[in-house]
Amino acid sequence: MAMVEVRGLRKSYGSLEVLKRLSFDVARGDVVVVLGPSGSGKSTLLRCINFLDEFEEGEIRIDGETVGYRIGADGRRAPRSEAENAKLRERVGIVFQSFNLFPHRTALQNVMMGPLHVRNMPKTAACELAQDLLAKVGLSEKANQYPSMLSGGQQQRVAIARALAMQPKVMLFDEVTSALDPELVGEVLAVIRQLVEEGMTMVIVTHEIQFARDVGDRIMFIDHGSIVEQGAPGEVLTRPSSDRLKLFLRRYQGDYSKSYQTLPSIE
Amino acid sequence: MPHVLIASLPYLLQGAAVTLWLSLLVVALGTLLGSAIGILATIAGSTIRRLITAYIFTLRGVPVLVVMFLGYYLFPAVGYRVSAYFAVAAAQIVYVSAFVAEIIRSAIVSVPPGQVAAARGLGMRRGAILREVILPQAARIAIAPLLNNSLTAVKQTSYASVVGVWELTYAAREVVERTLASFQIFLGVMAIYFVICYPLSMLARWCERRASILH
Repeated sequence: MAMVEVRGLRKSYGSLEVLKRLSFDVARGDVVVVLGPSGSGKSTLLRCINFLDEFEEGEIRIDGETVGYRIGADGRRAPRSEAENAKLRERVGIVFQSFNLFPHRTALQNVMMGPLHVRNMPKTAACELAQDLLAKVGLSEKANQYPSMLSGGQQQRVAIARALAMQPKVMLFDEVTSALDPELVGEVLAVIRQLVEEGMTMVIVTHEIQFARDVGDRIMFIDHGSIVEQGAPGEVLTRPSSDRLKLFLRRYQGDYSKSYQTLPSIE
Repeated sequence: MPHVLIASLPYLLQGAAVTLWLSLLVVALGTLLGSAIGILATIAGSTIRRLITAYIFTLRGVPVLVVMFLGYYLFPAVGYRVSAYFAVAAAQIVYVSAFVAEIIRSAIVSVPPGQVAAARGLGMRRGAILREVILPQAARIAIAPLLNNSLTAVKQTSYASVVGVWELTYAAREVVERTLASFQIFLGVMAIYFVICYPLSMLARWCERRASILH
């Protein structure tokens, strides 16, 4: 059974359809990298997977359990309670583009937040766990610093440690390096790569094509809310079959000379 | 010349004690009531939210003196005999609570939505998110405006003298009527109000500086 199953996922903001009946699976231990131009629905997709955003149609399952709604025998959806949704989110870690660390808490306290206030872990145990995780992301010596004193790369590594503290089964990364200065991107990607090696199931939204090629078991290219192309990185990134992916890769791989000549068509 | 002021100082200080008590009562209970209303405004359903908005906008659009007169005549009208002191205190608490509610509400609303998303992403429940993430940050945003609001509240207790509550301003008018040393006495009263308010001003400044360091 797949760890994440998405079937016919449809989501719209008013009349704008952001996700158009998406279906895909993420197998246990697999890393799926989602590529796509901005506004293609990548972030919304992640926010649906852990139900930070509601969706109108379709079904998402994490480890077999439906997300956000119960599906009755007659196929009807009934919304789950807030407590059930929170329970689900405990098992699905998410890291955001803008870090979203709690500014009034130190790095250590940020990581302790979940264990303390969701798991009701005793303080000493939570502290020990948090220290271990900060060591894992290479920030032991920053434990008592407030987020405002940390660099963007360090903040993002704390955010990853904070998500890991809930011992999630799946990790979702939403353009976690997009807000960083170029020289800070590497340290964050190194942490994610470490998780890949440990066999964590992940869905990664990114614009780092080289990184996608390195860590992805599967690449999924999304545009205008639909999956345009997917497959093994070697296949999809080397021999893209759709024009949209070709154009996208040209732009993000820094070959500007060609993307200048072909302006994207407006649909 | 200042001997008139010195001679009446004990009397004025008695008045200042009443002002201080009235201020403490109004600021403490007004802030408590206002905070509860402000928090409720961000978590309640739309009907209650609308009622709170009406409460805030009505009171903010009315002079405190009018609210005080209303309170002063309202209690007897509905059959309660209360002291002028009680009526004034109650009216000012209600008045102050509207301003506090708006400060708290807007502080809560200005906590970035990403904070809530991060907390929900961890699996935190609504109560824990409010307690651990939203309120501590909102408090930091609100503390300086709250202290400024308290400053206004302290000064507007002087209106109590209008409906015959004996406090510092009332005592000052009595002394002036007896001695005709209006400048001396009111300069002295000014100094007493300043001594009461100055620490609050300093505290507000200090909190502002601290908040800007942390963010």
